[in-house]
Amino acid sequence: MFVSLSTRLWFLQVLAGPQHERDARDNSLRTVATDALRGDIVDSQGRRLVHNRISLEVRINRDELGDQAEATLANLSEILGIPAQELGKRLDTKLYYSYQPVPVAEFVPEEVFFKVREEPEKFKGVEVVEQSVRSYPQGLLAAHLVGWVGQINAEELGDPRFAGYGPSDLVGKSGVEATYERWLRGTPGEERFLVNSDGEVLREFDPKPPEPGHELQLSLDLDVQRIVEDELKAGIMRARTVIDDSTGTNLAANAGAVVVIDPNTGGIVAMASWPTFRPSWFVKGLTEGQRFKLFESKLAPMLNRATQITYGPGSTFKPFVALASLKEGLATLGGYYDCPAEYVHPNDTSGTIFHNWDGHNSGSLSIAQGLKVSCDTQYYKWGSDFYFKDARTNKQELQRRVKQWGFGRPSGVDLPAEASGTVPDRNYVGDHRTRYPDGWIPGIDILLAIGAGEMKATPLQVAQAYAAIASGKLCRPHLVSRIEDGAGSVAKRIGGACRRIPYTETELNYIREALRSVTTGGTASSVFAPCSLDVAGKTGTAERPPFQDTSWFAGIVPAERPKYVVVATVEQGGFGAETAAPIVRNIMSRIYRTPCAGPALGETKD
Amino acid sequence: MDLVAGRVYADERRPIRHIDGALLLVTAILLLLGFFLIYSATNQTLIQDRLDPFLRVNKQMVTAAIGIVVILVMATFDYRFLKVYAGFIYAGMVVTLLLVRIPFLGSSAAGAQRWFEVGGFQITPSEFAKLGLIVMLAASLSELKHALPTIQDVIRLCGVVVLPLLLVFTQPDIGTSIVMVAIAAGMFLVAGVSGRHLAALVVICLVLIAAAFQLGVIKTYQLDRLRAFIDRENTPADVRYNLDQAEIAVGSGGLFGQGYLHGRQTTLDYVPEQHTDFIFTVAGEEFGFVGAVFVLSLYALLLWRSIRIAFLSKDPFGTYLATGIAIMFAVQMFVNIGMVIGIMPITGIPLPLVSYGGTATMANFVAVGLLLNIHMRRFK
Repeated sequence: MFVSLSTRLWFLQVLAGPQHERDARDNSLRTVATDALRGDIVDSQGRRLVHNRISLEVRINRDELGDQAEATLANLSEILGIPAQELGKRLDTKLYYSYQPVPVAEFVPEEVFFKVREEPEKFKGVEVVEQSVRSYPQGLLAAHLVGWVGQINAEELGDPRFAGYGPSDLVGKSGVEATYERWLRGTPGEERFLVNSDGEVLREFDPKPPEPGHELQLSLDLDVQRIVEDELKAGIMRARTVIDDSTGTNLAANAGAVVVIDPNTGGIVAMASWPTFRPSWFVKGLTEGQRFKLFESKLAPMLNRATQITYGPGSTFKPFVALASLKEGLATLGGYYDCPAEYVHPNDTSGTIFHNWDGHNSGSLSIAQGLKVSCDTQYYKWGSDFYFKDARTNKQELQRRVKQWGFGRPSGVDLPAEASGTVPDRNYVGDHRTRYPDGWIPGIDILLAIGAGEMKATPLQVAQAYAAIASGKLCRPHLVSRIEDGAGSVAKRIGGACRRIPYTETELNYIREALRSVTTGGTASSVFAPCSLDVAGKTGTAERPPFQDTSWFAGIVPAERPKYVVVATVEQGGFGAETAAPIVRNIMSRIYRTPCAGPALGETKD
Repeated sequence: MDLVAGRVYADERRPIRHIDGALLLVTAILLLLGFFLIYSATNQTLIQDRLDPFLRVNKQMVTAAIGIVVILVMATFDYRFLKVYAGFIYAGMVVTLLLVRIPFLGSSAAGAQRWFEVGGFQITPSEFAKLGLIVMLAASLSELKHALPTIQDVIRLCGVVVLPLLLVFTQPDIGTSIVMVAIAAGMFLVAGVSGRHLAALVVICLVLIAAAFQLGVIKTYQLDRLRAFIDRENTPADVRYNLDQAEIAVGSGGLFGQGYLHGRQTTLDYVPEQHTDFIFTVAGEEFGFVGAVFVLSLYALLLWRSIRIAFLSKDPFGTYLATGIAIMFAVQMFVNIGMVIGIMPITGIPLPLVSYGGTATMANFVAVGLLLNIHMRRFK
């Protein structure tokens, strides 16, 4: 009897002692994470785009409700104006441990706080606490860029990137809120309590205070951003009043995007996508109507069309093809090239005829003159030439050359879910056998030469490429320029990830001058004539059957010493000079505060 | 001189001079140990409830003070009077066990009908029933006409046991029932009941137990406890809770313990009933293996003194009485500590002389008093 007891004691206490000691510790230590204040987001001049504000939140600790649950919920229902049944439903969640208070109402008035404090016996287990939530002092401004914050979902929880997150944590879901989640979040603090078997807290150990998240400073200029969003919307509305010649109906102009980028650094000065959304909707939780509008309607307002959607770049693509032809010996700066009304690929038996956009024969033109009037047939010829060259060398020179400007791959901008665009090459055709049953055909190169066919780019990619024309450097675009810790010291600088492009200054200057002539005497001259702005730019009109054309304009201002590259794209916006160019012009005019005389908008030139 | 010498002789024969000091000492140490353990087990929860942290230990001390008087009373009269009144004692016991079952008189908790509420004190008749049974059996066995009990004797004696046993078992109080069966079996063995009869009794017991399970006399929680003991891995955590927490508490004591009042499980009240049935966890956690073995050795000493007294007794009644008491202490100690450290199923049996609780402590004092009584009057 004594032997068996002693043996068992020896086993329990001496052999398994350390394990039991650990178990005892685990039993009684309870760790509660305290949220860190999420970092602010400010513009290049320190003006706040996103910060935190206090919401009074009602929370219920289910462990403490006890047998008074029903009465407490009834009392609470009375002061909150929420049915007790609904409160009960909100309490019935698996997101929180039973000892963790469950939030049942947010943004309650202060009087709720006082009522609960005055009669604690009526509100056992109820607490009204200050909770910090995202606040957007600029309203809708830059919604796609800052993004929104929401409760972590099951998929994210399982993702190793979110290791250490709890099921009730908030995470950035889009924009820089998502890209810089780790920086913005900060480090949650830890409060450790000694608890007895009833869960009563007996002692609090030295808490580890939370470390607030880092502040993001954007390269964005709020003033420019406001102008850009204004003008994009105004331009789209204006376009809707215009009758489209080809369809005879109004332009749909259902959506659009504008990118303003600093060509010397790649810093994004402004970026707009329309339609847009109100990030503050997410703070209070979406209503059913809001959810439908944001995520299910055809408007797709959550899409950032500047980075997440690709369009045929149309004629805005020509400068890059011209430079490729130059470099590959298909053309020279001093040469003149025919610009007939139509073009047929040599030896073609299919009978395909490629038309000039205006149906005219413009005679023999230099590269610059061709860009000025946006001659297509010159480019069809170069496309054909590249096809033949490729047939001999198998080197895909045109594709290789245009990719040097960043086309066909993500720019690497610090925004989530960027589209990579397409430069149709042999691989692409190989991957799309059904569309190209005959494999590599001349039409691919011919259409690529005018930025049509399968060629696709995001407005940001076009802006990045024009920035490279302007500065001679291809820079990775970025929205965040600086990350500061709570004490204001810089933790990380972003930007300046640039590399030179393989074109000479002479070649680039030639192109810049040619683009300048576009606004002074070319396809966009009527738009820019009334302004004293020094702009180099290019219009673009991309066919997108069965829809109306995509309207483009890419501009560099000032042309002499480039400071901004402004690119506008409007879906179903008609000619480039019709919708996109006026948007860019108005933006530039407002940035430089140089009013343009007269409206002079609405000309139909490619 | 003769007269003087006679007085001297008589003086030496006075029972008080032959008190068993060792038994008294070990009882006192166990009692003191109990005070310390009860304080450690209860002070924190009492503070939590804004009560005097000494509330429970004070109550236990009052019980002990009354107990000392009880010991003295028990030691003063000749224990052989008990033999004379054994029938009355037995009858009184059965009546009390019946009374406690009457809803208005007896109190119940968790479906068990076990005690009387008297002026803030709980009186649990089953604690005294064990003693009553011992006295009755001792009296009967010492009056047997044959040297060895015949089959008729055994049947008669079984009847004596079964009546209170059934009353206790159906309260239900399985722990006390086990102790009563063990007492009876041990006393039968000492009285020389033949192995065959004992074996038959064991079989009958097993059949009755099986019947009890079948007829649903056993409550769900008792079945759960048994299942938790037999198949621990597959037992839900809430059923295992007592067992797990007790093992963690005892186990975390290590070799030398966490130190008095420093047991994490104890101070944070993780082991239910840690001042009553599970008080051994406090000793295990705060004084470690060394302390636990010290407690075991105190019980070994207590048993040695009890068995010695059984041998020294001048008459069979004393021997049977002391034997019964020794078995009672041994079984309660083993079942209690065994359940705390997981080698016995959980049954509500307090640790003799240490656990908090009025009736049990008092009954144990009576038992110690009787032992002293037998020891003092061991000379013819």
